[in-house]
This record gives sequence, C-alpha cells and structure tokens, in this order.
Amino acid sequence: MTTKRRRAAAIFAAALMVFGSACTNDDDDPVATDGGNGGDSGNVGDQIEGVLEDCPEGTDTAGIDGNVIKLVSTFPQEGSLAAFAEIAKGYTAYFDMVNDEGGVEIAGESYTVEVETFNDNYNPPETVENINRAFGPDGDGAFAAFSVVGTANNIAIRDDLNDLCVPNIFASTGSPAMGNPDYPWMIGSTLPLYSTEAAAFAEYLKAEMPDATVAMLLQNGEYGDGYEESFNQAIEGTDITVVATQRYDAGLATDVSAQVTNLANSDADVFFNGATLLPCPMGMTKADELGWDALKYVSGTCASKTLIGAAEGAADGVLSASNVMDPSNTDWDSDERMKLYKETVDAWRTANSIEGADVTNGVVAYGWTLGELFVKALEASESASRSAVMASLNNLEVSAPGVLYEEITVKTGENDRFLGEAAKIARYDLARETFVPLDELYDFEGGEAIPESLITG
Amino acid sequence: MSATETPSTAPAPEAAIPTSRTTSGPDLAKIVIGVVIMAAAAAFPFVVDDTATVRMVSLGLIMAIGAMGLNVLTGYTGQISIGHAAFYGIGAYITANLMIEQKLTFLATLPFSVLICAVAGALVGLPALRVKGPALALVTLGLAILVPTLLHKFGSSGGVALWKPKRSHLNSPVDALTNTQWKYLVPLAALVIVYVLTRNIVHSRAGRALIAVRDQEVAATTAGINVAATKITAFAISAAYCGLAGSLSVLVRGQADASSALAYFQMSIYFLVAVVVGGTATIAGPILGGLLVQILDEKAPDWSGNKVGMAPFILGTALVVIAYFLPGGILGGYRQLKAKLTRSP
Repeated sequence: MTTKRRRAAAIFAAALMVFGSACTNDDDDPVATDGGNGGDSGNVGDQIEGVLEDCPEGTDTAGIDGNVIKLVSTFPQEGSLAAFAEIAKGYTAYFDMVNDEGGVEIAGESYTVEVETFNDNYNPPETVENINRAFGPDGDGAFAAFSVVGTANNIAIRDDLNDLCVPNIFASTGSPAMGNPDYPWMIGSTLPLYSTEAAAFAEYLKAEMPDATVAMLLQNGEYGDGYEESFNQAIEGTDITVVATQRYDAGLATDVSAQVTNLANSDADVFFNGATLLPCPMGMTKADELGWDALKYVSGTCASKTLIGAAEGAADGVLSASNVMDPSNTDWDSDERMKLYKETVDAWRTANSIEGADVTNGVVAYGWTLGELFVKALEASESASRSAVMASLNNLEVSAPGVLYEEITVKTGENDRFLGEAAKIARYDLARETFVPLDELYDFEGGEAIPESLITG
Repeated sequence: MSATETPSTAPAPEAAIPTSRTTSGPDLAKIVIGVVIMAAAAAFPFVVDDTATVRMVSLGLIMAIGAMGLNVLTGYTGQISIGHAAFYGIGAYITANLMIEQKLTFLATLPFSVLICAVAGALVGLPALRVKGPALALVTLGLAILVPTLLHKFGSSGGVALWKPKRSHLNSPVDALTNTQWKYLVPLAALVIVYVLTRNIVHSRAGRALIAVRDQEVAATTAGINVAATKITAFAISAAYCGLAGSLSVLVRGQADASSALAYFQMSIYFLVAVVVGGTATIAGPILGGLLVQILDEKAPDWSGNKVGMAPFILGTALVVIAYFLPGGILGGYRQLKAKLTRSP
C-alpha cells in the first residue's frame, strides 16, 4: 500500500470511529419527552414551577429590554388570507393605548408592550421559520409568542417553544389542543373553542330542530377534526344525525364547490359550514346556487365582516357562535366598552395611517379583547417573568374583558386552561349587515363539552 | 436548441477548460487571500452577536452549496435544471426522518442523504440523455412539483407535510460552541469540503469531460468521452450537493418541509439565480451568489417596510441590475475588472 493510500485509509477509519461513536440521538436529552417538557398532566402552575430547572439558563426574563416587553406574532398578512391580519390591529391599538398611558404595572414597575409581527401565509413551515428566526436557537429573542394564528401552525411550533420555555400566549385557534396540559407554556385564546361552538349549536338544534339531519364541510386536519368530534359528542343520545361529511385541504386556491355539491345531494336539513377563510363564503354561495334550502351554520372564524361580506346575499340568516359583541351591530353602540374600543381604534388608525383596522370588523374587536386580557394577566402577575406570567394566565378570573358579552367571565384554573367556553348563537341580518345574538348564553365552563381526544391530540 | 445555446447557462469567457495547475504552480497571493477569507468566515459567529444575522448567513452558505451543485450540472456540463430543490427536499426529508424514526444524530444522517440523492440524481439524469434545453428544463420542473407531492403522502402535522426533529437533537454537541455558532460552523465546514471537492473535480480529467460535453458533444464523443456517463455523473454530483444542502437546512431551520410545490419551484429558481449572479461555471461564484440571494430574500421585506409586493420587487430589481451590469456574474465582473487593471500601463 502506498503512503497516500495508507493515509487515506487511516483518515477513513478515524472518521468511521467518530461516526460510529455518536450516531444515535436517544440518550442525550433529559428534556426531550414526547409532548414537550410538561411531564404529568396535573396542575399546570406546578408544572411550570417544576420544569423551570430544565429551561435554558437565565431565560425566564428574556425578551424584556429595560421596561419593554417584546412579543412576537406570526400570521397570514397577504392576499386572500389577510383577513386574520386584522387581529393584530386590535391588540396593537390596545397596547399602544396602555403604553401611552404609562404602561402596564407589574409588581410595582411599569412596562410597555411591543409586538413584532411576521407573515407566514398560514403555512406551518413558514410559522416555524418565523418563530425560529425571531426567538433564535436559545429562545431568548423575545418574551413570548402572542396570538399566532392557526391550529396546525400552533401545533407546529409548540414543541420548540415548550422545550425552550417560551410562552405561546393566546394561540388564535379554537382548538382545545391549545389547553393540553403537556404543554404548560402554551395557552389558547378567547376564541370560542370548536367544541364550544359545536356544543352550542347542538344545543340550539336540540331545542329548535330536534330531529335534524346535518351535512358538514370541514377542513382537513385538527381544525376539522375538532368540529366533527365535538359535534358528534354533543348530539350523542339525540335524534340529530350527521348524514354527510366532506373535507378540503387548506390552501390559497381552495375550491370547495365539489364538496358542497356532494353535501347538497344529501338534502340535509342543516349545512354545518366548518370552513374558514375564502372556502367559507364560497361554501355559502355554492349552497345557494344549488338551491339547497338548509339552515346554514358558519364557523366562528368565518363570522367576520370580510368573509361574511364575500358571501353577499347567501349569508342572510346564517347562524354562528360568538362570544363578542359584533361591532357592526349598532345596538351595542351605547355600551361603554364598545365605545372605548371604537374610539380608541379609530383614533389609533388615523394617527398612525393604518390601512384596514375597520372598527366594525369583529376580528379587530377580538384582537382588542386579547390585548385587554393580556394586560390584565400582566397586572396580576407576581413578577415580570415568563413563569410568573404563565402562572397568572393559568389563574385568571376576568369579567367581560374587551368586548366579550357582559355575561361572560373568562376563567382558568388548576385543570381548566380554556378561555373560550361560553358562546351565544347569533343570526346574520343581511339588511343590517350584522350578526344579531339570540338571548341564550351556552356556558360549558369546566371543559365539559371538550372531547378528551381533542385536548391531547 | 441545444442546452449549450441556453443564454442563462452560457459560461463566462474565462471558464474555458482549466489549465493544469502544475504548469502555473501555487499562487502565494491566492493562498493568502484564501486563508484570510477562511479565517474571517470562521470568526464570523464569534464576532457577530446577532443570532438572526448569523442564521441568515448560515442559510446563505447552505444556498451556496445547493448552487454549487447546480453549477456542476448547468454551468460546467450545460444541462439546465429548474427543479433542483427536489433533491434539496429529499435530503431534508431523509435527515429529518432518520433523526425522528431511526434516532440518528444529525451528522450521522448526512452520508445517507448524500448517497440517496446521488442515486436519485443519476436516475433523473437518464432522461437527460434523450432531451435537451427547454425540454430538459421541463423534466426537472416536473420533478420539483412531483417530489413535494410524493412527500406529502408522509405528512405528519395537521395534514401538513412537515417533519421536525426534536430541537434539542439539533443543538451543539460541543460545549465550547453555542447553538448559533454550531449551526453556522457545520454548514461552513460542509461548504469548504464541497468547494475543495468541486475544485478537484473541475481540474481533473472528469471535469474537463464535463466541459467538453457542454461545449461540443460530438467533439467530446470523438475524443473518446462517454457522454452518457458524464451527464449522469454530473446529475449525481449536483443532486448530492443539493441533498447535502437540504440536510443542512434541517440543522438551521429545524424542519423539513414539503408543504408547497411552489416553494420548491422558488428554491430551484433561487439556486439558478445564485449560479448566474455569482458567475456561471466558476467555482467560487455560486458561493457569492448564494449568499447574496439569501440576504436579498431575507432583507428585502425589511427594506420595503413590509409592504405587500415590495419584497419581490426589490429582489427582482436587484437581480436585473446585477444581470445587466455584470453579465458574467459577480466573479465574471471581478475578473473583467482585474484584466482591465492588469492591462493598464
């Protein structure tokens, strides 16, 4: 063997030794358990205390620069998906109002709140990319993720944020999975849970159409599964039956015409339109075109001015479940909380030359509600740290924050990490271009309407 | 039209068949410059504190590796491809999958990724024996659309084709290095290896065969070069590089993604742009091009104040300006300038 070949063989052998000695990854990670670092599914506050020692060192107060608490959010901001971008305008207006008034007081010290936002096109890989970019490999680039939009998007980032002990606050999805106790650093938002919506609508049907046949349009993935499982659980033991189900893939160019045609062929009494974004109004319009004379229900995520408006006449009389006063309904104009919301957002939009931020858009009002609830949680926090804020968020009792119906109190506690557990059914009035709520409030406080499989999914 | 007539793949005038290094001997100035660049590149994550900037450059290095792969095929061999992100995606998927399912460490997945992508590249190279130019481009475009669709069948999260190894499994195994430094130095080391490898290939008999096939297939055949084997080899090498880039992207991005065929097409075009902007059929050109494309892609939204549609406008304008004023790419422009200065009295 020549010297050159001997040298090459030696290098190859050395490389093999290094390679062989370190080629598996299952023995090096005390934190890496399936389902994050939450451990058992007991009291979340205790879990946070318990896992702090596993968190990257010195990151409990990361993302606070002087007296500025930096939040990061990622959501779709362009094209047909931009309807959800209005949420950020609501909470940014609220934070700016609080900042202008001197900030939020935590343990005797004042802090201002800033939010940096990214566009993810509602695409989970882009959400992961944005979160990774914003927080860095050690999770210290900001204090918390805030109101990240989408079920799959939040599920895509929950392991990373949980491992890094980064709070993921008010995940903007109605999926009960956001309250999974295995992820103590994540909490959902005030958006009615899909289970709350489904159960409220089932209660409505039990009273009004007790032997209804139902056809469901659902998005593929956890979002659609949430509606389906919750509704099926809610109608157990009744004469209400689901006679047809059709699914579609989320995406920019989704056309649900074929699915709606198949549903219409079932001739069901009720069209449960669980679609979101443009497929939702498209579903309503298609159903009308086909002459399908069914009672229509639309997802709470569709009950915004932009999406309902896109359905035009087909939206008349549709039902939805909601927990916020619809700001396009002038009946609420005398309400003090509604007045504050409208005046503040209007002034903020004008002062900052913001495009959009239509105060009559329910999505903006939802964002405003999140802003107020977060500030309340900060005020109740024992210190300006991630663990203290999460503990506060897991021990909330706030009566009618933002523009929620005044009968609603947002409560979280030891075994209840769900914020959107009460809702009213509302009917869309085309002439007034607004949702008008029915009287009854369906309150499922305590998690009674949530199928277990949706929480741990 | 033959592939060699495709304007975007036209090599810089300086990229003729390289002369043997033994005739010119080592160039001290070049060695010094190389050492300085390497030292600066290695020191970068220790000097720059901002993790986002280091991450951006890491991704630029990865883009450069992919572009170097495409350059072997398009720049040196004259076979155009607008679907090389398919191999990038396969590489990323293999790494993520082996880490999740087989519990391999990140580094241990790299040989598998490179080998499998090389084989896949060779298979894709087979049609290249029959089709050329735009038809070959269409074949590769089909590949970019096909691969994410196939990978989607193995979707994992909420119906989304997304694979995420545990974050902690991508952390630095070296105590002296932070995660940010590790995720920069690994792609840098890979780039150095790829650079040396490419340099050796280009200056070897095999490299001269690639260029001969690009410049004149008939003449190459007459000279005894096995054109079919040469083309398939070029496809295999380029696919292996792109697969390696895909694997490295998992280290930095923390995920493998096959959610969108459009994203694959965009990445394929970015590779091509990086080659052309850096300097077609130059060894270092795609490195410059890759870094530039990544920086433009990431910074354009900031520069445009996040206004809708402005980021693509900035990116497109920058590329048009570069292509207009530097038709031979950045490296071609540098060489022209150097030649001018050398000729000056």
